[in-house]
Amino acid sequence: MMKKNNSLLLSIPYILWMLIFTLIPLGVVAYYALTDPDTGAFTLQNIQDLGMFLPTLGISTGYALISAFICLLLGYPVAYYIAHRSPVMQKILYMLVMLPMCMSFLLRTLAWVGLLESNGIINSLLSALHLKPVTMIGTPAAVILGMVYNYLPYMILPLYAVIVKIDHRLIEAAEDLGCSSSQVFSRVILPLSMPGILSGITMVFVPAVSTFYISQKLGGTETLLIGDVIERLFKSAGNPNLGASLSLVLMLLVFICTGVMNRFGSDEEGGVVV
Amino acid sequence: MKKANKLITVLIFIFLYIPMAVLIIGSFNEGKSLSSFEGFTLRQYAELFRDKDLLALLGNSLLISILATAIATAFGTFAAVGIYNLKPKMRKAVMSLTNIPMTNPDIVTGISLSLLFVFIGTGMLGNKQSLNFWTLLIAHITFSLPYVLLNVMPKLQQMNPALKDAAMDLGCTPLHSFFKVTIHEIMPGIVSGAIMAFTMSLDDFVISYFVTGSDFVTLPVKIYSFTKKPIHPKVYAMFTLLFALIFVLMVTMNLLQLRSDKKKTQSRTKPESRAMRTFKRVGAIACVVILLAGTVFLFAVTRQNKITLNVMNWGQNIADGSDGTLDIIEAFEDKYPHIQVNYSEYASNEELYSKLSNGGLVVDVIIPSDYMIARMINENMLLPLDFDNIPNYKNVLETYKNQAYDPENKYSVPYTWGTVGIIYNSKYVSEEDVTGWDLLWNEKYAKKILMFDNSRDAFGIAAYKLGIDVNTTDKAELQKCADALAKQQPLVQQYVMDQVYEKMIEGNAWIAPYYAGDAMMMMDENPDLRFYLPENQNFNLFIDAMCIPTCSQEKEAAELFIDFMCNPEVSGANMDYICYGSPIDGATEYMEEYLAESEIIYPPVETLERGSSYAFLPEEITRYVENLFMKVRLPAEPSPPSEDSPDILPTVVITLCAAAVFGTFLYAKAKRKKKS
Repeated sequence: MMKKNNSLLLSIPYILWMLIFTLIPLGVVAYYALTDPDTGAFTLQNIQDLGMFLPTLGISTGYALISAFICLLLGYPVAYYIAHRSPVMQKILYMLVMLPMCMSFLLRTLAWVGLLESNGIINSLLSALHLKPVTMIGTPAAVILGMVYNYLPYMILPLYAVIVKIDHRLIEAAEDLGCSSSQVFSRVILPLSMPGILSGITMVFVPAVSTFYISQKLGGTETLLIGDVIERLFKSAGNPNLGASLSLVLMLLVFICTGVMNRFGSDEEGGVVV
Repeated sequence: MKKANKLITVLIFIFLYIPMAVLIIGSFNEGKSLSSFEGFTLRQYAELFRDKDLLALLGNSLLISILATAIATAFGTFAAVGIYNLKPKMRKAVMSLTNIPMTNPDIVTGISLSLLFVFIGTGMLGNKQSLNFWTLLIAHITFSLPYVLLNVMPKLQQMNPALKDAAMDLGCTPLHSFFKVTIHEIMPGIVSGAIMAFTMSLDDFVISYFVTGSDFVTLPVKIYSFTKKPIHPKVYAMFTLLFALIFVLMVTMNLLQLRSDKKKTQSRTKPESRAMRTFKRVGAIACVVILLAGTVFLFAVTRQNKITLNVMNWGQNIADGSDGTLDIIEAFEDKYPHIQVNYSEYASNEELYSKLSNGGLVVDVIIPSDYMIARMINENMLLPLDFDNIPNYKNVLETYKNQAYDPENKYSVPYTWGTVGIIYNSKYVSEEDVTGWDLLWNEKYAKKILMFDNSRDAFGIAAYKLGIDVNTTDKAELQKCADALAKQQPLVQQYVMDQVYEKMIEGNAWIAPYYAGDAMMMMDENPDLRFYLPENQNFNLFIDAMCIPTCSQEKEAAELFIDFMCNPEVSGANMDYICYGSPIDGATEYMEEYLAESEIIYPPVETLERGSSYAFLPEEITRYVENLFMKVRLPAEPSPPSEDSPDILPTVVITLCAAAVFGTFLYAKAKRKKKS
């Protein structure tokens, strides 16, 4: 009895804090989404206006999915490689992956602007080699590159955490039973690293779908993303109410996507533990 | 296979580190640009250490992160113990509550918190400055807490419950047993949670960007505003130093951990050495001391007896002491030692308006343009000025008084006046194309054209091009302007405000409409640039004037500042840097001769006759224009969105389906393999 009281006593402040600062704010967002910016009266106008952002929502989702997929393709071999080094080497490489995450992502993205600009570093190198300059900045590819660059560590770290735990004996057993190395990979290693893959995809997808800085810096006029629109509505278009309703849509999108992932993920995790 | 992995890993590491190398090299660069290296120098580092503001910002960031981490770690650890002992159902509910800030995009978390703070702080409690240090701290604690919790929980689950029972049997109270047993067992979780919380908090930009008020700004938020303008290389120097610091910290931490790991394996049964214990104690005491110092610093900051005057101005719109000009803010603070100026910037009238109308911040002096002043007067956002405190108002030239935006001269004192024209790069743009506003629609220069990123200037230019009245309230005419802008959209490289500087100076864009004074500043940096006001067409003639918004808390100090700016000597020195026309009588005498005689700053009278100013538009029309401009900015579409959405909807659905199918496929495959 005593114990139960104590545990409630300890957890109630936390529960209250989280209710006040995560759930209630979402309620305030919903309140803004359903009111008129001028009069403050109830309206559904902000929901109706969302129609014009559907293409933007599609583009953002597409970009985020593509970058998550590229991150997976690039990140998996790296995570696999790191997980199979000696413990000391693993620590060093892990640190090297972590390090960029601690540095200002604004400045690191700005460095890409310097690299990709039409008079930037890469084009200067190309012209020094007497090659034709390439237009890179302002293209969708540049935005996706920026996303992959910024969020790749978010893919590598969870993948590494899962791959490093795979019991080596399982692989040996598979080999003993006559699996080729590609079969070992597709039948043993890949399924076992599924939780890492799913959490990696989520961790890349969520920030990528909502970014506004990367598209502002590396993108052009066709790469306006949903994050840009929300930032604009709040910070310069003076229509926070429409921005609020759009951010609710973004939130829903993300929760649906992660919900789907988590369903698979939690199921899998149980499997791995067993 | 293994070789391929190794190769990919090496390439990925190069990919991850190249941009950082670019920044580090940039910090030793003689020139300002990242793209061209003009010679080695350490000057940027000297400049960095001379810049107290930048170091203070770093201090702000550290203070917030340390406080947020300390509070979140203590709070989160106790909460984890409590939650661990809850009933499973309850525990699950609490954990999914914890997951909300983890999965929610940062931008939504930031927006929701800022709306909450303003809603409660300003709306219900009536506090003008509801976005301040404390709300920023609350936001940081909120997004740090889940990291602590999610790191501590697994350690609690791994802990042997018998340990705690044994301690209780030996006479410990529950509290005692927590400090004697539990905390040691879960320590690794607490430490890694704290480290994660600290790094997240230190580098957080998105949430802070939405929650920050005017009085307390963290480094990433300031860096964001830096990156909108040509950035000073001393910022790269700071990046390099931070990189070195974090690198050294990480290496030491890893080395220490490796050593202790080795020791543990060597002597599992031996109790930890005395030296180690002292080391740990010293470390703990050091942490406490740092925290205390932080708190003391905080009180020192909040209890400063100087008056803080929040001045908000356009980017690049005040002389800051560079290139031998007068540092106006410093001169003002020297003259009035009891006032400390907190200077911040906005990129457009609309941005300023949004900042003020979103609420939650205190601003004392703003410098909007004519039409925005009229809008703000109309919405009761400005305070009437007390001209007894502004004796220098007598210096304002009669031409700039009694303007339509403030007919009774009650709310505003002119700061500058200027024109909007086109700046182009003569190296790439041939002279015969330089005719009028049409240059901005010239397909020859597709993707080398920049355009205003604010609705009023963009629609103004379209109206001038089409010969429509810029102050029209006729929706059909406005639609024509929107159509012209939509036609221009595919040719535009980017919609910009202050970013125009680096794009034009570096030659990455060739044509841009912009304000004359800023054009002069760009021409200083790149001699190929030219500026012109379209012949035979109208153009915008604007006045920027100083006002005091209703959220001001230091009206008298604000009036002192306005008075100071009306001093001819100050105004002249200011114009030397910002290159606009001064509305102050006698200011030209203090300006450099070539500027005072420049036809760009002071166009001939017959040219000025073609200038027209933006007038106040009714709120409904302003919003209508804003909406039209938003549609122009959205990626090009052949037909209106209402008819178009059925075409687009399938793409969205297909993308989502593809994602779902991909996931299911992976999942099914994994499951099948598991079964077999």
